[in-house]
This record gives sequence, C-alpha cells and structure tokens, in this order.
Amino acid sequence: MDRFQYLLLMGGCLLITLPLEFVLRARVWRRPRRLVRALWLPVVVFVIWDVVAIARDHWSFNERYVTGWELPFDLPVEELSFFLVIPICGLLTYEAVKRIIER
Amino acid sequence: MEYTVLAVLALAGVVAVELAWLRTAIFRRPSYWVAMAIVLFFQVLVDGWLTKLSAPIVLYNPNEHTGWRFPWDIPVEDYAYGLALITLVLILWERAGDTVTDDA
Repeated sequence: MDRFQYLLLMGGCLLITLPLEFVLRARVWRRPRRLVRALWLPVVVFVIWDVVAIARDHWSFNERYVTGWELPFDLPVEELSFFLVIPICGLLTYEAVKRIIER
Repeated sequence: MEYTVLAVLALAGVVAVELAWLRTAIFRRPSYWVAMAIVLFFQVLVDGWLTKLSAPIVLYNPNEHTGWRFPWDIPVEDYAYGLALITLVLILWERAGDTVTDDA
C-alpha cells in the first residue's frame, strides 16, 4: 500500500472537499464547462514547470510512495493528479466561502 | 536556487496577469482572502505530509531552494508555488464565469 500513498493523499483531498459541493452548494463539479475553462491553462503551465523541474533535479519522488506509473517526460501520474485535485479543492473552498459571506 | 527564483516569478506573474490583463478584481473580494487562509491551513497539512523529512514523498534538491522549511519540513517556496497555482485558477474561473453559460 505504501506506493499508493501519494495517490491516496490526493483521493483524500477530493473526498474531504466533496461536502463543500453538496452541503454548502459550491457548485464547482456541477459546472464542468467552466471548470475546464479555468483548469486547462494552469494544468498545462504547471505540468511544463514540473517536467522542467524534474529534468533539472529541483525535486524528485520517493519511489517507495509513488506507483511508478509515469507519463511522457518522466512525469508521475501522481503529479498530474495533483494539478487537477488541488485546484478543484481551492475552487470548492472559494465558492463555498462566497456562498457564506457574499449573501 | 532555481526553485526559489521560479516560485517567486510565478507568483509575481500571476499577480501581474490579474492586475494588468484579466482584471477580475478578485484581490478586492474578502471571499478570496478568506478562502486563501483556509487553503493555507490545509496546504500545511497536505504539504507537510508530502515533504516530511522522516518519510518524504517529494524530495527537494538542497541546491535549488533556500533550505528554509516551516512549519515542520515544508520548503517556504511551496507557499508561493501553491498561492500562484490556486490564484491563477480562481482568476480564470472568475473570467470563465463571464463567458461560459454552464448547466444550471
């Protein structure tokens, strides 16, 4: 199970923020077109940054805690999941806060 | 210290994109700052887990960042990185809200 640690951490982030969508009615998951519009550019930019950072050894990944499943340019699938999951968590937080304090 | 430089440039770049180009006025919304405070709290938990030196998931090259870590073992550069990422997404989300009519 150790090698799924990074992926499970991302899954945990999705799970823990899910109530924001349904309890606080953040309406992020339910606006998929707007979500894609918001995400595609940051994902592309941060994936490129990540590929460069990995190639230049700014950081690396502990093989004990990642699956070893890699996309082109040595990009671990965990990193791609990070660039999708973390922004969605941020959007859910932002929209939930808006729901509470802007009305 | 390339990571340090890139993280600062990324954050400055995102702020510049908002102020000079997209102008969503997100920095004047209390919701943005409250959300960032909440995100920061959870970043410490998640990033703290990713970077803890006792069992790190991500390993940072000591030559490419300042080596300042707070709290626990989180490289301080990660805060600029995270803030740049989330802020860019929120700006584009607000921008998309003006043009995209999604299902209700």
